Amino acid sequence: MKVPVKVTVNKKNYNVEVDTRMILADMLRDELRLTGTHIGCGTGSCGACTVMLNGHTVKSCCILAADADGQEITTIEGLSTGAQHLHPIQEAFVENQGLQCGYCTPGMVLSTLQLLTDKPNPTEDEIRHGIAGNLCRCTGYQFIVKSIQEAAKTINSKPAASKPAAAAVASRG
Amino acid sequence: MKYIGEEILGLPNRQLAAGKGQFVGDVQLDGMLYMAVVRSPYAHARIRGINTKPAEEVPGVQYVMTGKEAFERMNSITESYDTAAMGAKSVKWYALCPERVRFVGEAVAAVVAEDKYNARKAADLIEVDYEELPVAHDPEEAMKPGAPLVEPDWGDNIMVTRDFLRGDPDKAFAEADGTISGVVKAQRYTGAAIEPRGYVADYDPFKDMLTFWASTQNPHPMRVFLAETLGIPETSIRVIQPNVGGGFGLKIPTFQEEPLLAYLARKLARPIKWIEERTENFLVGGHAREERLYYEAAYTKDGRVTGLRAKVIADVGAPSALVGWGMSFVTAYCIPTVYKIENCRVQLFTVVTNKCPWNAYRGYGKEAASFLMDRVMDGVAQATGIDRAEVRLKNFIQPDEFPFPQVSGAMIDSGNYQATLSRVLEMIDYKSFPKMQEEARKQGRFIGLGIGQELTPEGCSMPRSTMLSGYDGCTVRVNPSGQVTVLTGVTSPGSGNETGIAQIVADTLGADIKTIKVLQGDTDTCPYGLGNYSSRSIIMGGAAAQVSATEIREKMFKVASKMLEVAPADLDSEDGKISVKGAPTRFVLFKDVASTVYRDCYGKYACDVEPGLEATRYFRHPNVYHQPEIQGRFSAYPSWPNGVAACIAEVDPETGFIKIIRYCAVHDAGRIVNPLMAQANLHGGIVQGFGGAMYENLVYDEAGQLKTATFMDYTIPTAADVPSLDVEHMETLSPFNPLGCKGVGESGVTGPLGALCSAVENALPHLKLNFNETPLTPNRVWQEIQRAQQRGN
Repeated sequence: MKVPVKVTVNKKNYNVEVDTRMILADMLRDELRLTGTHIGCGTGSCGACTVMLNGHTVKSCCILAADADGQEITTIEGLSTGAQHLHPIQEAFVENQGLQCGYCTPGMVLSTLQLLTDKPNPTEDEIRHGIAGNLCRCTGYQFIVKSIQEAAKTINSKPAASKPAAAAVASRG
Repeated sequence: MKYIGEEILGLPNRQLAAGKGQFVGDVQLDGMLYMAVVRSPYAHARIRGINTKPAEEVPGVQYVMTGKEAFERMNSITESYDTAAMGAKSVKWYALCPERVRFVGEAVAAVVAEDKYNARKAADLIEVDYEELPVAHDPEEAMKPGAPLVEPDWGDNIMVTRDFLRGDPDKAFAEADGTISGVVKAQRYTGAAIEPRGYVADYDPFKDMLTFWASTQNPHPMRVFLAETLGIPETSIRVIQPNVGGGFGLKIPTFQEEPLLAYLARKLARPIKWIEERTENFLVGGHAREERLYYEAAYTKDGRVTGLRAKVIADVGAPSALVGWGMSFVTAYCIPTVYKIENCRVQLFTVVTNKCPWNAYRGYGKEAASFLMDRVMDGVAQATGIDRAEVRLKNFIQPDEFPFPQVSGAMIDSGNYQATLSRVLEMIDYKSFPKMQEEARKQGRFIGLGIGQELTPEGCSMPRSTMLSGYDGCTVRVNPSGQVTVLTGVTSPGSGNETGIAQIVADTLGADIKTIKVLQGDTDTCPYGLGNYSSRSIIMGGAAAQVSATEIREKMFKVASKMLEVAPADLDSEDGKISVKGAPTRFVLFKDVASTVYRDCYGKYACDVEPGLEATRYFRHPNVYHQPEIQGRFSAYPSWPNGVAACIAEVDPETGFIKIIRYCAVHDAGRIVNPLMAQANLHGGIVQGFGGAMYENLVYDEAGQLKTATFMDYTIPTAADVPSLDVEHMETLSPFNPLGCKGVGESGVTGPLGALCSAVENALPHLKLNFNETPLTPNRVWQEIQRAQQRGN
């Protein structure tokens, strides 16, 4: 059975018809062609499918697409405005080699966004716990932690008015 | 050299950080169908019949296929590791099992439907009538006469054996001051890349061309395997490897779903996608490691190991066409690793059971050999009362003894084990540790230090092998405007070799690295090559790139020498300029030389060189012996990186919980092309090692059911579980590789096994614990502590 779903994704409105069995991650990927949201387990364990729903991180493999009706979503594609205009968190991952295969990266970046919104100056321990819901098998997390530390520095050094879309996104919820 | 040895950021970083990578799951084609696979719920059963009717009635179902069709219309799957060349028994494995299933998850039928939900639904409705057969579950039970047979035609469950002998172990044991013995047990575990496997197949009947997107490490060998299994020409297949979300060996072909999907796409002439679910990945995506190593060691009272007997029993699961079973051979092949033990006997028994087949996984059996030797060295230290590091130093192969022929015939190229161990002990402040331990004890904390030595031979080159032949190719093309295209036969499943290869080409040509594009993973554009395995992408692929780039440089120097009116030997190049040595102001731009070759081939500068600036060259490693060398031995690994870790861990005796406080590692892989990437690889390897040492376990029950088939049961380390690591590199160059490189990809994964076992024992010395078995889960550690206390320790 198909049901209509109206969602705002990355500030753009979409009206789609989805199978009632479809998960949100599949809707984003297959219907809206936003393939930066990845699927690693389908059970909410790995965090590769992390997106923001109404300003808070969720695992989009554990939410039915139909349940996203009327909601506001931010995916990794919503963070940058072009190849040369990445979000400061993404820039920090690039500059500190906070990724290898890149499969967990979008989810990791969105969890970082949540973390830095909640705790602008996290300790290493807070960072490690903040991303503990996102599994990475390549990096051993060390350069990811470093990337997050550097991202926090960059974001905090900016005047409040020009804080990244991050904070704005998160505060909407 | 401007780039080699520099920390260059990964070339695909921006794309991946933006979420703009293209992984196989992202491939979306018009009219695409989806495949779902019906899998055996039994570990061993005969298929009496299949009723596909209920599936065919599901809306949108296009086709249902069973093993009968696979048997009649397809060849058995080509082996990716030639069993005949190794004297091992083999099976005919089909894309779908025609009559018998041998492990839970083995594919028996497939459904193709308009969407994945109905494909799955239809697959679940297929009724298979199974007759259950007895299950071989435990490898040692499976070796006994009368055990249930995985392959009735074989007569037993032993796939292959080896018996390596040097010196006179019996004499060494008779003359020893003392002996120790025990058994080291490694559990079954796996790589668990965050991206599961997946494939998309699309067939164009007019061009007779099958395009196959695959999350694989080895596109060219995969094309050979598909062609042979489907019985079609290689030229009618194009394999494309998009971004790959981690491989670690597990994405080496050949799996059942590969030829299955390719066959169905050709049959239906429609694009079809199959993306593995996580549970499928745990059931059938390849396992590793499950080995028992029985050992006896003879030593002198001054701590020298004079004799070793080791018996390796490897449970490789059901036989298949995958390369994994070869890992058992490599365990035996590497013993006694970095140590010179004159009298040695190593026996191998590779045993099949009704479990998931092994596939290659980072470490490839080397980890078990090093883990065993750590336990032997610690055991001798314990028995003699000599310091653990001192015992290792006394037994190392010396730096001037290379190339060193090992018991198995392995020819170890070079190393300086003394230097790496000494350095890691400095890093962890080994001398001060007893004081630190005492201080902690006063606070009621139990900390211990352990050492884990590792030897990870790389560049695997096996005789008569499609997959593992041990060479690679590279095309370097300087374009008319002076930018450089590099096409490699090796691939990067996230390991960063594209960046390293760009560095090597930039330095060889003297080009600006920003002008270089590296393209990988497409059988229609890249030269034939074997892809990514055995840390070979720099040692083989990088060397091939260097050879190709050197040929182009020589040609460009020839033209430039005429332009500058000097001899080619007087020229040098860097930063996109070819200049006269010692006179840097006399130069021509790299791009102007390229332009001259392409645009003025009859002119005075370029008339005596062949037009075009493109070279495809292949590299074969000198330190491989497939024909018996002087001592009649074969050597399949040209390159022997090594390393050592020292670890401080705290144990809570009340809960058995282990916390890693400090982890230092020194690693020697010869020349490091990109220290940043090498460091990144080491971090990842070490943390996978922590997973294997402490958490990960693929548990089967006696009926052959896998009990840990999700990330909730099979736990891999999270960021919160691991500390920051302290990793350094040493560079003992390979004398055989033109770059001096030895390979980094499997490094780090082994050290945690020995280091953590040793650290836990050392944290509670009064209990005289003996941890020869991983994983060190809190439950196991706690139980061992209880037992020791009951023994009165």
